[in-house]
Amino acid sequence: MARAVRSGSRVDTVVVIVFAALSILIGSLPGPARESIAAVLRRSIVAPLVSLQHGAERARKAFISYDATTRMQDSVVLRAMRVTELESENERLRRMLGLGQALRWGFVPAEALSGRMRGEEHTITLTAGATAGVRPYSPVVAPEGLVGMVQSVDPSMSLAIVWAHPDFRVSAMAVDGSAFGIVAAHLGGTGAERYLLEMSGVPFRSALKAGTLIVSSGLGGTYPRGIPVGMVLRELETEEGWSRTYLLRSAVLPPDVANVMILQPTRASEGVQTVWAAAQQPSAAVVSATPPSDSAARRAALAEAAAPRAAPRTAPAVAARRDSAGRPRPPRAVPPPTRPQPVPRAPPVRDTARRDTVRQVTPPPDTTRRDTLPPGTAP
Amino acid sequence: MIGWRFVRVAIAFAILVILHYTLRPLLGWRAEMDFLVVALLLAAVRVRPAAAAAVGFGLGLMGDALSPEALGSGALAMSTIGFSASWMKAVFFADNLALNGFFFFLGKWAFDVIYLASERRLRGTTLLYQLMLWSPLAAAVTALAGVVLLTLLRPLLEPETS
Repeated sequence: MARAVRSGSRVDTVVVIVFAALSILIGSLPGPARESIAAVLRRSIVAPLVSLQHGAERARKAFISYDATTRMQDSVVLRAMRVTELESENERLRRMLGLGQALRWGFVPAEALSGRMRGEEHTITLTAGATAGVRPYSPVVAPEGLVGMVQSVDPSMSLAIVWAHPDFRVSAMAVDGSAFGIVAAHLGGTGAERYLLEMSGVPFRSALKAGTLIVSSGLGGTYPRGIPVGMVLRELETEEGWSRTYLLRSAVLPPDVANVMILQPTRASEGVQTVWAAAQQPSAAVVSATPPSDSAARRAALAEAAAPRAAPRTAPAVAARRDSAGRPRPPRAVPPPTRPQPVPRAPPVRDTARRDTVRQVTPPPDTTRRDTLPPGTAP
Repeated sequence: MIGWRFVRVAIAFAILVILHYTLRPLLGWRAEMDFLVVALLLAAVRVRPAAAAAVGFGLGLMGDALSPEALGSGALAMSTIGFSASWMKAVFFADNLALNGFFFFLGKWAFDVIYLASERRLRGTTLLYQLMLWSPLAAAVTALAGVVLLTLLRPLLEPETS
C-alpha cells in the first residue's frame, strides 16, 4: 500500500516536472514558433472563449460610450438652454440699443433688479443713482413702453415704482388723441388679470375699440407725451354714468424688466413723441448691432423690419420716416390731437409730479377739466 | 457515483472558465479577478497532483494563447499551482469558506509571482510594484469572488449524502 502511494507520488512528481519542462520549452521557442502555437490554440480550443471575451469587451465599451454619450447629450441640452437665454438677452439689449439711438441724449441706462420680498413686488432697484444723473420722479422706460417712475435716489442706485404699484398714475390718451384718461393699476386683479391696467375717466362719448394703443399724454408733467402704456382689452362696467373705464394690457410686464432707461428731466420736458415710433423701426442701430457673421439674426431683424405692424404702431412709424435729405418728416398719419398740446414747461417739480402719481378716488379733475376745454384753448 | 461527481465539478469548472472570459473583461478592473485560478484550485483539490498539473498546463496554455509573447509562462505557473494545491489538499481540504478564500488568495498571488518571473517582461521597480501592490489586490479580489462563487456553487460541489 505504502509502495503504491510512493509510486503514485513519484509519478505525479514526474508528470509535473514534464509539464514544467514543456512550459519552459514553449516559452523559450523563437517568436514565430510561439505565435504559430498560440494561433493554433486561438483558432481551435480557445476560439469560443475569445469570442466570448470580445463580446464582453464590446459590451463594456458600449456601456462606457453610452455614459459618455449621455454626458455629451446633457451638456448639449444645457448649452442649448443657455443659447435661448442668450438669444433673448441679445434681443433685449438690441431693443435697448434701438431705444438709446432714438432717444439720443438725456437718459441713463440701468439694470433693473426686481424685488422678491413681500412689499417689494411693485418696486424695482435701479443700478444708477444721483451720480449718474438720476433724479426723483424721472420716468423709467423700456423699449416696449412705460415701466414706472423713480421714487428715491441714492448716489449709486435708485428705487422706482412700477406701474403695478397702487400709487402709480399716468395721464394717458389713445394714440390718435381721441380719448384721454388716467391710467392706474387694475387693483384686485388675480390670475391672468394680475398685471393689467385700467384707464378711468374717459369721457362717455369717447368709445375705444379693443386693441387701441394707449400712450402717455404728457399732461401732469412727469411723463412726456408718447410713451406706450398699454393696449385696450375691453371696457369695464362701472357705476359712473358720465365716464368710461377701460381695462388695458400693459406694454411692459414688470417681471420681464431687466434693463431700463431713466429719462432725465430735461429730456422728458423735450418730448419723446417720435422715440417709440423710431425705436420700433428697423433702425440702423439694430442692424449695425448685428454682427456680420450673425446672418440669422440679421435676417430676423430685417424680417421684423419688413413685417407689417399693427395700425396704432404704424402711424407713429410713418411719422418717423425720413425724407431724402435725411431730415425727419413731421407726423402725417397721426391725426392732430383733439385737445391742446401741453405747453413746454420747466422740468417737473414735486408738485406736478404728484398729480400723476397720487391715487384719486374722485373723478380725475384735471383730465375731465382739460377734456371739456374747447380745442385750441391753452390749459 | 464518481462519474456524477465528476460531471458536477466539470460544470462548475466550465462556469468559472466562462466567467473568466465574460465577467472579467466586462468589469475591466485594474486589479482583476482570475476565475481560471479559482477553477484550477477547485479542480485540483479533487484530483491527483499529476491530473491537477495537467489541468493547470491546459488552462495556462489557453490563457497564454492571447499573449503569445508570454506563451508558456501561464502554463508553467498554472501547472505548478495545480500540482501544489493538489499536493497540499490534505491541509486545505476543509469546508471552511475563510480557509478557501485564503487558499484562493495564496494561489493567485503565487500564480502571479511565477508568471511574472518567467515571462520576464517587467523588471525593477515596476515588477516590485506589480508584485507587491497589484498582485495582492488582484489576489484579494479573486479570493473574494472565489468565496462568493463557492457559496453559490455549493450545491454542485458538495459531496452527496445518502
